[in-house]
Amino acid sequence: MTDAPLTRDDKRAAKRAARFENPWRSPKLAWGAGLLLSVVALGILGRLFWDLEAVFTGANMLKIPPIGFENLRGQSGTFANPLGTDGAGRDMLALLIIGAPNTLFVGLMASLIGMSVGIVLGFTAGFVGGRTDDTIRVLSDVMITIPPLLILVVVQSVFGDVSLTLMALLIAGFVWQSPTRLIRAQVLSMREAGYVQMARLSGASTPHIMFKEMLPNLVPYLFGSFIASVTTSIVTAVGLEVLGLGPQRVPTLGRIIYEAINAGALIQNLWWWWGLPTLLLAVMFIGLLLVNLGLDEVSNPRLRKL
Amino acid sequence: MSHLTISDLSIDFPTSKGVVHAVVRLNLAVAKGRRVGFIGESGSGKTTTALAIMQMLTEPGRVAGGQIILGGTDMLALSEAEMRQARLSKVSYIPQGAMNSLNPIMRIEDQLWDGIVAHEPATSQTDLKARSDHTLASVGLPPHVARLYPHELSGGMKQRVCIAMGVTLSPDLIIADEPTSALDVVTQRHVMQTLKDVQAQIGAGLILIGHDMGLMAQSVDELAVLRHGKLVEHGDVRQIIEAPKHPYTKDLISSVPLVGGDSFLDDAPAEPPKGRGTPGVALLQFDGVSKVYGANTALHPLSFALEGDVPKIVSIVGQSGSGKSTMGSLMLGFNDPSTGKVLYEGQDVSRMTGAQALDFRKNVQAVFQDPYACFNPFYRVDHALKFPFKRFGYATSDAQVQTAMEDACDAVGLDPSLILRRYPHQLSGGQRQRLIVARALMLQPKLLIADEPVSMVDASLRATILKNIHDLKDKHGISILYITHDLATAYHVSDYVMVLYRGRVVEAGPPKDVIGAPQHDYTRLLIDSIPWPDVDRGWGTPTTEEEDAARLARMAQDHATVRRGDIPGFTLS
Repeated sequence: MTDAPLTRDDKRAAKRAARFENPWRSPKLAWGAGLLLSVVALGILGRLFWDLEAVFTGANMLKIPPIGFENLRGQSGTFANPLGTDGAGRDMLALLIIGAPNTLFVGLMASLIGMSVGIVLGFTAGFVGGRTDDTIRVLSDVMITIPPLLILVVVQSVFGDVSLTLMALLIAGFVWQSPTRLIRAQVLSMREAGYVQMARLSGASTPHIMFKEMLPNLVPYLFGSFIASVTTSIVTAVGLEVLGLGPQRVPTLGRIIYEAINAGALIQNLWWWWGLPTLLLAVMFIGLLLVNLGLDEVSNPRLRKL
Repeated sequence: MSHLTISDLSIDFPTSKGVVHAVVRLNLAVAKGRRVGFIGESGSGKTTTALAIMQMLTEPGRVAGGQIILGGTDMLALSEAEMRQARLSKVSYIPQGAMNSLNPIMRIEDQLWDGIVAHEPATSQTDLKARSDHTLASVGLPPHVARLYPHELSGGMKQRVCIAMGVTLSPDLIIADEPTSALDVVTQRHVMQTLKDVQAQIGAGLILIGHDMGLMAQSVDELAVLRHGKLVEHGDVRQIIEAPKHPYTKDLISSVPLVGGDSFLDDAPAEPPKGRGTPGVALLQFDGVSKVYGANTALHPLSFALEGDVPKIVSIVGQSGSGKSTMGSLMLGFNDPSTGKVLYEGQDVSRMTGAQALDFRKNVQAVFQDPYACFNPFYRVDHALKFPFKRFGYATSDAQVQTAMEDACDAVGLDPSLILRRYPHQLSGGQRQRLIVARALMLQPKLLIADEPVSMVDASLRATILKNIHDLKDKHGISILYITHDLATAYHVSDYVMVLYRGRVVEAGPPKDVIGAPQHDYTRLLIDSIPWPDVDRGWGTPTTEEEDAARLARMAQDHATVRRGDIPGFTLS
């Protein structure tokens, strides 16, 4: 081969072309996944390398600022508590190590359950049709109009202290409607597609048509819908926690913010107490948004640019 | 003096697989008042060239070189704002699917005014109204159409509205991109006549894009034949049709099947193969079958019986809305009839047990219209062949399935090594449709329903695919129901023809009689409306639209079937 060495422009063009051909390699998807994984990594590495005993009340000095800052009492940060401590002497780093994955867990768990319900109901409604379709559609339409926070506030105050899983289950009750409607619509249009008719002609059974012929083509939509409902679930969970509902004994990002507000962290200038969990939430949401945009490009080739 | 001059035009589409040269060094001139046809198969660059004149190439396409001069203006040098002024006032575009081009929530006249208001400063309301009424009248639409919404118009009327939009500002050039491809032949003739009339009236040049040699022969003065982005032949339409120079042009012309013309099929074998049906029992029987959708009757009660002992091809011919596709889906058991029974070997199709249903599926297969939709984009194309083969219990080993697939590909003229293991989007429409025929061949059904199998395939490939389907009868003894709107192909391939109009059989019999010498007025109208690739032959008897509408209304009242003789093994009652 005597080809001239590729110039930088050529390489860039080749890279763009490869990305066009395989949308899973989009930088949005990579960055988004990276941000989300960093939250997971914080949880895993933290448990390995940090002393989690520091998470208990009174385990450290109170209201210590992060390294390089001074609090109102003139104390400066120490390496014992690199991100500072809260008003009850809990180490912020340890709180975040436990709290951030918990919040992510509630979001993932809730939308996993919601999506599974949505897939089953959406396929049933779209494929079976008739009365079944009417029932499922009316049910999901009615549920969409009910504001989840309102109901959840009432339910949670009845339950009192709830576990993370129960919290996820309760939220799941409000995130199955949109996937149901989305999948139903896709199934309805796909049911008339030539290849589905071809499959019927080939003597395929209904489960085969649903799961082998239709479902693979729905995968990008399902992913997109899943990410969207993770976002909704996290927002709902954090909303409840900031109101002081939700799990009382387990640290979550929302709970940390609730306690910071409760203890007057804003007027005492204890910015790290509420600021760090908010920053982490922002990282999660930006990560989810980027993943969602990347998946959009996968499912809709028109959005791809060369 | 030429009005539009295209010189050395090249258009490139950069893709991930390298640059595609959609148009290569094209030179062409269109004189004022002349009609020029662009003909070629899909991907030949005909629409791309036309869009380039208006700077409307879709991303990422770009003009790589050359010049387009229209009436002294360099069209490629115009800025976006200047081009916006030039569109419609200098060059207008009549799109393919009129139904999608009109705004569904605006009245027709408002949509016509949009174009005028955008190009001319401060036009008074009365002036606008007068101009839109005048334009609508010039395309043969009654004045009340102005106040209607698009959904209240028929397909032909919508296409006329699009023509009206194209001519409101008397442009120098009209580009019509397959303006009649979505219309039935009867309407097509009237719409083309309208287009020719207004074009002559305003003296504009016309570029007609299409793939139908017959339509071109009847509509244009000059013909430009494009292939792979290159102009292969250009000249007077008469000269090209009577004495084509380029082999590709010859192919294009000879691929148009003619009623009464030479057959494109091989001679029938001396010994017809044995049919695959069970003797004594009708393979497929309609027993007073009708289908009603709401207030619409798609199919009036119809009874016939098709025997399977001697394989035959029965054509069901009709325009869109005639009920022919409804018949197809009833036969396949995709729809249940409103009254009557569809019987397969004596079994009611809608009341079958699991084992019977599987046997029915095994023996009644189909080829559908749209080869692009028939393959699941998630799987390699093998899946469409392999899955039913295994499901119906023909498969004994993986190697045997592979051989069967390869043999089937060979039989329809596809090279298995180039086709199998590919994804559907890597194959052309023609290849996919042949693969679907190969699938039918592999499954060896007793009956094949072919619903418009070639209407979405390039003209040059139609004859080959029909030959493949015909071979299923001649070599494999499969009986075929061929559903089509194309009388010429039905004439050649079928043993029996039923002409459908509004859900009723109006004429039935052997094709030589029904299509060769039609007796029913509707069949005659259909045959008259076929554009012949022959410049001297007029486009049917010159009837006006009103006369035809009156004829059709009269026919709708007349329910009798004209019977033109029977063939053994098929009884229509």
